[in-house]
Amino acid sequence: MSDTRPTTTEKFRRIVNGTSIRTARQFEALFILGLVAFVVALPTIAETLMGFRGVASNILIWMLFAVAFNILLGYAGLLSFGHAMFLGGSMYIVAITMRELGAAMVVLGFPLALLAAGAVAYAIGRLIVNKGEIYFALLTIAFGEIIWFIGNSDPGGLTGGNDGLSSGMLPPFVEAFRGQLRVVFGSIEFPIYWAVGVLFVVGVYLLFRIARSPFGRTIRVISENEQLARSIGINTYRYKIHTFVISAVFTALAGGTLVLVNQSVATSQLTWHTSGEVVIMAILGGISSFVGPMVGVFLWFFAEYSLTGMESLGELRHHWRFGLGLLFVVVVLSAPEKGAYGVIKDAGMWVMNKLTGEN
Amino acid sequence: MSNKTASHEPRFGRLVTSLVRMRSIWKVLYALLGAWMVLTIAVSTNLFFVQLLNGFVYGMILVMIALGLSLILGLMGVINFAHGWFFMLGGYFAYAIVAQLQLSIWIGLVVAPLLVGLLGVVVERFLLRRLYGTEPINGLLLTFGIALMIEESIRYVWGSTPLSFDADILSAPVPLGFTEIAGLRLFTAGVGVLAVVLTYLMIVQTDFGLSIRAGVEDAEMTELVGDNLPVKFTALFFTGSVLAGLAGVLRGAEAGLDPGMGALFIILVFVVIVVGGMGSLFGSVVGGLLIGVAMFLAPTMLNALALTTGLEWIAIDGVRRIVPFILMIVVLLDRPRGLFGEEDFLE
Repeated sequence: MSDTRPTTTEKFRRIVNGTSIRTARQFEALFILGLVAFVVALPTIAETLMGFRGVASNILIWMLFAVAFNILLGYAGLLSFGHAMFLGGSMYIVAITMRELGAAMVVLGFPLALLAAGAVAYAIGRLIVNKGEIYFALLTIAFGEIIWFIGNSDPGGLTGGNDGLSSGMLPPFVEAFRGQLRVVFGSIEFPIYWAVGVLFVVGVYLLFRIARSPFGRTIRVISENEQLARSIGINTYRYKIHTFVISAVFTALAGGTLVLVNQSVATSQLTWHTSGEVVIMAILGGISSFVGPMVGVFLWFFAEYSLTGMESLGELRHHWRFGLGLLFVVVVLSAPEKGAYGVIKDAGMWVMNKLTGEN
Repeated sequence: MSNKTASHEPRFGRLVTSLVRMRSIWKVLYALLGAWMVLTIAVSTNLFFVQLLNGFVYGMILVMIALGLSLILGLMGVINFAHGWFFMLGGYFAYAIVAQLQLSIWIGLVVAPLLVGLLGVVVERFLLRRLYGTEPINGLLLTFGIALMIEESIRYVWGSTPLSFDADILSAPVPLGFTEIAGLRLFTAGVGVLAVVLTYLMIVQTDFGLSIRAGVEDAEMTELVGDNLPVKFTALFFTGSVLAGLAGVLRGAEAGLDPGMGALFIILVFVVIVVGGMGSLFGSVVGGLLIGVAMFLAPTMLNALALTTGLEWIAIDGVRRIVPFILMIVVLLDRPRGLFGEEDFLE
């Protein structure tokens, strides 16, 4: 082993251990490359593990949702139990715009949804963001219930009440073909999955940039030690509100996309069950890393589609949530910050170091 | 919380001062609310008092759940998300005893809460105890996972369809002058009042309560003088779980059971805790009754207003579900810590 040029094994080990030194630009390029590779590979993975490709779009959207949620939980340390109001709320806004003003108005619906989510998050954030972790969790549940109530009470016949909305959400550039949605621009035609994939890569990359920016580092400081952050001159109140708004806006992006993919909006997407699901996904995957929540989403969908399909489990297979609850309890007790991703990473590092010698 | 529970004077004193110092906009609002109530009584006298009574009974259920939650929160700093599911489990255990095993409701009223209490002890001793001293959020998350497991277990054992069981002798109506009330509701109100009084006496008058209050103030010192605090915390968790289970039996006998009631009630109880003020037992009693009564009175009052003004749209359908949250926001705007909340508690 020469002193100046590391061998291939040495390089490999550095990558695995995360000690390899790269410039920020290289790192970002690698990150985008990884995301794109993942988007390309996901339909095949979904088909082998979960039985059908269709679920891939939903997985991507939920991953964006979970990462947006984790900016708030993992970085700012604020546990929101009401994030469904931003997901479901934006879904309703996009769907209602398209139904009332014509399906082409999806171009208006998206900005409107993002704006509304941001505004609601700002208003709620101003009121409750400084009240301590537990208070924040309880109050977000309560605000989520209010939004659910509004959606469920069918104001002006707009939201369809308990039945939700299920028609008139096909924009002119999307065509339903044999039960599959395809994007059509003149002669260019491709499955909607690739459009979702592009949105996913852009959304997650933006969040990645935010997490690594001075802003992202500042909110990490606040969650580590708020007193210290305040004493070095950081306006923690404002930073927390801004994080809440950012998280809400990216959640709204995920929500709007979900409308186009599923062509339906249900009141269940406004209930706290949906909020709880994203909490479980994020914690399961691991909130201390950026990609952790994505692993959690994958685990959730894997459990939902694989376990319910296992005939050998008998009647028990319909109660896969019990298994996830158990796993969740184990994760909270053993590694509340690391989650599944942290455990996998540690195990991988250990194995690689064993294989490449040393340690 | 604990040291102030001992005497009432400063609390009521504070209440009076805050009433006097109230900003005039709030005075006007309260006056309007009072006038509205008088109007409702004038328009539909009987209905008003019937709903007041219904609200009180419903509020008593909320108080019983909130009391256990508040005890655990105030003394251990843990918010038990699974508390609503303990409540639901109490109802389902009673269903198993009364409807499936064909035993008396009295056996259900005693055994079901105790079983829930035992589950509470297991949860506290083997799971929650590992998390004391870590981030307060971890306790919330852990109990959230447990809640998920309880709900799926209930769906597995008893199915997802609504169930009900008969409270035989207790269901006979009792005349009350202006109305008749199901005996069970009266019983529920009585048990609720008894539970509040007993809990208060336990915390304030007994040695057990004394050592727990001491433990909250300074855990290390209390253990140094020879108190076995972990055992006492477990006992307290047991008490809270029994209260929730008891409320579940009463609610299940009155209105039936379904696997969604755990979530429904825990959210309401969270609102009760926030309105009453975190960590205050007295606050959770007042908050629970306030929200219970408001939930039942609001539709009647809106109807009365719609009737007198002739504006149909005022009587919004299903307004009951939203009332607690509106109340919460109003309280938070004026008193950010809730009605009787303490400074710096969990902040």
